[in-house]
Amino acid sequence: MDLKVDKIKLGNGINLNLIYTDKFKSNLLSYYIVRPLNREDVTKNALLPLVLKRGNQKLNTTLEVEQKLDELYGSNLSLTVNKRGEKHVIRFTLEWADGSYFNDDSYNLKTIDLLNDIVFNPYLENDSFSKEYVRQEKENLKDRIEGKINSKRSYAVDRCIEEMCKSEAFSLYSFGYVEDLPSIDEKNLYEHYKNVINNSPIEIIYVGKYDEKLISHIKESNKMNRQNIIHLSREKIDYDIEEVNVVRERLDVNQGKLVLGYRTGIPFEENLYNGLLIASDILGGGPNSKLFRHVREENSLAYYIGSMVIKYKSILLIDGGIEFENYDKTTKIINEQIEKMRNGDFSDDDIEISKKAIKASTESIKDSTYLISEFFFSQQLSNDFRSLEEVLNDIDNVNREDIIEASRHIALDTIYFMSK
Amino acid sequence: MNTIVNSRIDEKVLYEKLDSGLKIFFMPKPGFSKKYAVFSTNYGSIDNNFIPIGEEENLVVPEGIAHFLEHKLFEEEDEALFEKFSRLGASVNAFTNFNQTSYLFSTTDNFYESLELLVKFVQSPYLTDENVEKEKGIISQEIKMYDDDPGWRVFFNCLRSMYVNHPIRIDIAGTVESINTITKELLYKAYNTFYNPSNMVLFIIGDLSFEKIIDVVKSSEKKFEKKEENIKRIYTDEPKEINEKFIEEKMVTSTPLFYIGFKDSDLNLMGKDAVKKDLITNIILDLLFSPSSLFYNELYNEGLITSNFGAYFTGKRTYGHSLVIGESHKPKIVYEKVLNLIDKRGEEVLKLEDFNRIKNKNLGNFLMGLNSIEFIANNFVDLYFDDFIILDYLDVMEEIQYNDILKRFKNHFTRGNVVLSIINPI
Repeated sequence: MDLKVDKIKLGNGINLNLIYTDKFKSNLLSYYIVRPLNREDVTKNALLPLVLKRGNQKLNTTLEVEQKLDELYGSNLSLTVNKRGEKHVIRFTLEWADGSYFNDDSYNLKTIDLLNDIVFNPYLENDSFSKEYVRQEKENLKDRIEGKINSKRSYAVDRCIEEMCKSEAFSLYSFGYVEDLPSIDEKNLYEHYKNVINNSPIEIIYVGKYDEKLISHIKESNKMNRQNIIHLSREKIDYDIEEVNVVRERLDVNQGKLVLGYRTGIPFEENLYNGLLIASDILGGGPNSKLFRHVREENSLAYYIGSMVIKYKSILLIDGGIEFENYDKTTKIINEQIEKMRNGDFSDDDIEISKKAIKASTESIKDSTYLISEFFFSQQLSNDFRSLEEVLNDIDNVNREDIIEASRHIALDTIYFMSK
Repeated sequence: MNTIVNSRIDEKVLYEKLDSGLKIFFMPKPGFSKKYAVFSTNYGSIDNNFIPIGEEENLVVPEGIAHFLEHKLFEEEDEALFEKFSRLGASVNAFTNFNQTSYLFSTTDNFYESLELLVKFVQSPYLTDENVEKEKGIISQEIKMYDDDPGWRVFFNCLRSMYVNHPIRIDIAGTVESINTITKELLYKAYNTFYNPSNMVLFIIGDLSFEKIIDVVKSSEKKFEKKEENIKRIYTDEPKEINEKFIEEKMVTSTPLFYIGFKDSDLNLMGKDAVKKDLITNIILDLLFSPSSLFYNELYNEGLITSNFGAYFTGKRTYGHSLVIGESHKPKIVYEKVLNLIDKRGEEVLKLEDFNRIKNKNLGNFLMGLNSIEFIANNFVDLYFDDFIILDYLDVMEEIQYNDILKRFKNHFTRGNVVLSIINPI
């Protein structure tokens, strides 16, 4: 099955992307609203989906919205904010079992209308958001921000990035900051919302079965006439490292959490980036990787240890959970493995294995409505319109020299270590 | 070769039982890129007391041994197993839970070669004193990773509050101390008893050929001498009563986490009866606590709960419990409100129109679940070990009546069988 998208421009800065497939039992519709990631707006952006979920003009309360979703055969609604590089993306997604299972023709249209209402017709009081809803969601957001400490592994990764990218927008926490909350109220949040709707790039993505009637309906209800759409800048990825920054944080934990942040300076637009992806996989992608074999299997130092590449910032991160006293031993082994990569000390087998792994996970995008939606959104966001097949080919064409060159770009910037 | 079909959901399952006693099930999924295979044994952390094959006396094994064995099965005498799978482009993994240990892989290519590898490695344990020792370090780190997880701790504390003797109280991975007492001899005893084809199942899903699957399995499987049908598992009597009403601990966390548990005494069910009870209880929990319930919305509006609030029931033949889970600055107040809710009459809090609405919701949710190969595979095996085939799920759902809901609500949700577990911030 080849994934094909049918793109329709609905107005300035707003596109409808249609991907037809009948292999799933459901259909999925997503709105992606893109903002620049900045300190001033980050918390307000995070608050928006929480408030919008509370009610719209037709269904004013959560109770009514949730009961409606139940009635629509358990349609699944999800609203989030996400960081993609230095962009803050607000996503609204609805997935529903296809109407053909219920002999209900109008059902598909009802779900589309519901999502449209949630995004564009929020519940208002006195020409602004509900005071009560905003107050409550500020409390909830506060809890969520403070809750980042609950998952030690991801908290450690976020902290490393926060330290490493101190003077960059990328250091910002996606859910915002507690100190911003007191100055946000229902009026200024509503102003921000109107601003967001008026000038953000918006991608609407539909995955599943559709016919002319459905498409006309979506087009009609989403046409927008907007003048000025904000411009989103490409992230800066080249940084000089003067010396490695080591950050230690003390917390009452049982296991040390180690995170190493590296700069590579290789833009994802360049072919060498494919070499970096494979280098990262050989280094720490899976159970065949150097980190898994040497840190975990040979030395029993960790249960989890791995590496990943952050696309828009060209950052490579390695993280693992270890005993506190094994910090030196572990960092030494990690450095040794990176040296090996730089010296080409990896086999042709390793290259083949990594290529296969990356290609397999890329291929399996086709098996998920959500991942298909993400793939096409990502094309738009990164201005990279290669088809899935082209992406797979580029991975295949990476050679040993590319991997070595990419590895030589990997430069340690920051180490973060959480311990007792 | 046999076939089970359910045209309502447009799915079918093919199956065959081999001479070795192993049952293979296959669900075709035309058009899907990923292929998935899971090889499971009906052996989990609760099976800590059994009579080893060929022996007379029962053996109580150290905590965490089923999970330890899962780790060790990946060890091979010659080449690293991970590397073999990676070379085929397959992603291999395993997990142990209370009731089963599963070995699985997913791949878009080279499926049959990977299947051969899966069957072979699960059926050839290679244990030495040295490699057992080495694994202790790794698993210790895994245990410590969970020890830092307040969500995991509040859950296990809740289990310990409910259950007096039942081995569900035991940490699946064991403790750092208990795993240090594990030896290769004990591992072999557990393996030889439970990893017998008649105690296992192989489930495969994807765009594949069943004939070819059967051929591959027949030629890869180990030839067992004896078909051991009945494994003697020993359970100490678990009283109906709960262990302790309340347990509280402090950990590094931001908001207090809570688990409210209701211990089930309607046990010893299998097959359709068990699934029906499961569904009925989950429907009640949905009606009472889901985001479309009055209770959820009242507490949410008062700031007593967040959107991280939910409830589910899970049960097997020898245990069962409902759990109401969330985070709150005032967990004890939430608990009181839950108790006040269950004090009420069923007709008052479980309305007929809501019941019908939830049935529709479950229908859609189940259909959407069938999009995911992993969802199908994991649920298939789980239900299979309870003597139930997942395809019949919707049929059981249709059978459930409003009176079933009222009856179960009265019996299962009482002040007598409830516990509260809280984790507070340090």
